[in-house]
Amino acid sequence: MASYSSDRRSLLKIFGAIGATCAYPFASDELHGQTAPEHQHPIAAPKSEPQPRFFNKTDFAMVSRIADLIIPRTDSPGAIDADVPAYIDLVVARNTDQQLVVADGLRWLDTEADKISGKKFLELSEGEQLSILEPLCEAADTSTGLARGRNVQFFSLIKSLTADGYYTSRVGLIEELQYKGNAALPSFPPCTHEH
Amino acid sequence: MAGKLYDVVVIGSGAGGGTLSARLAELGADVLVLEGGPKLNTRTDFNTHALPYEFPFRHVPVMKPGKPGMDGERSRGLGGKTQLWNAVALRFSQRDFKGRQHDGAGEDWPFDYADMKPYYDRIEQQVGVCGNYDHLEDLPDGIFLPPVPLKCTDRAIQVGAQKLGVPVIHVRKATLSQSRGTRPACHFCGNCMSGCDVLAKYNSYDVHMIPASRSGKLTLQHNSIVHELAVSDEAEVKEVRYFDRETRAEGAAQGRIVVVACACAQSIALLLMSKSSRFPTGLGNSSGQLGKNFIPHITAGFEAFLTDFIGKPPVNDEGFLDHAYIPSFMHERKRDYPRSFGVQFNYQNHRSVGWARSMKGMGKAYKQSIKDRYPAYMVFTGYHEMLPNKDTFIDLDPERVDEYGLPRARRSWKLSDDDWKLHNDMKKWCREILLASKAEILTVSQGPATNHEVGGCRIGTDPRTSVVNEFCRSHDVPNLYVVDASVFPSSSEKNPTLTIMALATRTADHIAEQLKGSPA
Repeated sequence: MASYSSDRRSLLKIFGAIGATCAYPFASDELHGQTAPEHQHPIAAPKSEPQPRFFNKTDFAMVSRIADLIIPRTDSPGAIDADVPAYIDLVVARNTDQQLVVADGLRWLDTEADKISGKKFLELSEGEQLSILEPLCEAADTSTGLARGRNVQFFSLIKSLTADGYYTSRVGLIEELQYKGNAALPSFPPCTHEH
Repeated sequence: MAGKLYDVVVIGSGAGGGTLSARLAELGADVLVLEGGPKLNTRTDFNTHALPYEFPFRHVPVMKPGKPGMDGERSRGLGGKTQLWNAVALRFSQRDFKGRQHDGAGEDWPFDYADMKPYYDRIEQQVGVCGNYDHLEDLPDGIFLPPVPLKCTDRAIQVGAQKLGVPVIHVRKATLSQSRGTRPACHFCGNCMSGCDVLAKYNSYDVHMIPASRSGKLTLQHNSIVHELAVSDEAEVKEVRYFDRETRAEGAAQGRIVVVACACAQSIALLLMSKSSRFPTGLGNSSGQLGKNFIPHITAGFEAFLTDFIGKPPVNDEGFLDHAYIPSFMHERKRDYPRSFGVQFNYQNHRSVGWARSMKGMGKAYKQSIKDRYPAYMVFTGYHEMLPNKDTFIDLDPERVDEYGLPRARRSWKLSDDDWKLHNDMKKWCREILLASKAEILTVSQGPATNHEVGGCRIGTDPRTSVVNEFCRSHDVPNLYVVDASVFPSSSEKNPTLTIMALATRTADHIAEQLKGSPA
């Protein structure tokens, strides 16, 4: 996957092993916050009840709640149905930078919740939870990189991990998006529409 | 030290080394190929049909568990990058070989399209290239299998581009649209850049090297990482030194002729590492030009949604990735920069949805907007040529070594003012074509990015300004050849692989003539 760098004309770029990577921008299945994928073995046994490796029980419940609000169950399954929190736990467990961002973000959520009604974030109503998260979401949509405050970075991270985890799951890809590829076709069907 | 003396030792087994060694063996030469990576079984070793949810971290590894290969630049495996390429197979045009004559900038090749045409013909007949006869001046037709139909989404771009007078043609790929011999036609599973389990997509190992090795004239030695070419007092390569990828045991091979075909940057790195009292700055580098004139392709990428397809039911249009191509068209138009660009698009399969992260909002509306746009998503990437400049080069990293303790190739690059003009105009055209096709643009790449690696060891007639001659033979070392994209004096905007293969088979013919003329 190509990396994009600054537009400044004066910049002399020195870089490493692009020859080893994909020749097409956007063509790799790059995943957020995963820098060094391990040589993985496929998932062997059927999953049991998700047991967090990194998060404690409360933090895991908070991350689960945020993921649930980002991709809720509607007439189709949501982030919880797709075990997205377990994916987030798996990724964050390997990334110390993310661990700090998430820890700070979760504490901040409880502080904000306390300001609103003297409760913990998880004890708030859905409307109250959204009143904290939606401004972060909007700020994440309208800013990039260093312009983002710490809490916006936190929300953006959880959103990215939620999107990755959901749309790469069987639930997200097959049930929600109706992915139909990876099948053998005897020939490629020509387009028959008017364009 | 009294090992076998081969006629030719070839280092690397990809598009250059694989094609050249097969041709030499066919012509009766005794050939040894040294490949740094492992032996592969293309049919069974790649994760060609895997989906992300089969893996805990959702990243689909190129190789199946326990199967080595493709793990580093020096150790990819038999077939090299042809195991991973997307098979786009474009001929360079006369204008590509003679850019300086047309634009007054850059460097010409010391031969013409007419000289290369018979070799393009030969390669296309051997590997099978599908495409349409488009009769374009800047993209010569070849010998084609029938083209594969455009996707519906390609047609939307074709109709939009037509409003601007921009052509959209069928892509030309070394992937079979009809069965040939033991290779079946493509089945359109849509994961072409991870092997090809039926060999419908060309790779040099299965299509060129395995058949050629049946004659007994071609010996394939894998897991042999070459780290030095040692020279004799007569300035000839006397020994190719390597170590075993797994055991690190040292070895050496001798050939009357030695061909370096490790893919651009790695070939240059090997020559730079091969220092001697005779060649203190690297083998064959009396000109000081080795590593200079590096001219990678430069890209700008867009992600967009075709509004005609938003909310439509998803279909299986993975195909063999991209089915269409926008060939260079700026040569015909008024412009204030040399050279041109082409556009590759719709090459992303739909089994990963990284763009969902970039969609605005959260909750039900966010989820619905992704579902609606899933059938409408498209990547759209312009590729342009750059011209050589003093700030764009390959050298050895003075600090970083790879897992084998060898210095890494380091790339430095900077666009000139003319390159920037071309780059910005390409971006403008990409945007206009997308908008004319009723696309909404999701993301635009932040700045230029390099792509196909070309140049650094260029062909030329003047030994002071080039490293190899028109037959890819070192000006300094008479039994040394280099055959990959590093020798291209100019890159065109077209994907380099077909030209690497044509050049390799041409060089093989030349080497066979040389062998005939010299005592065994």
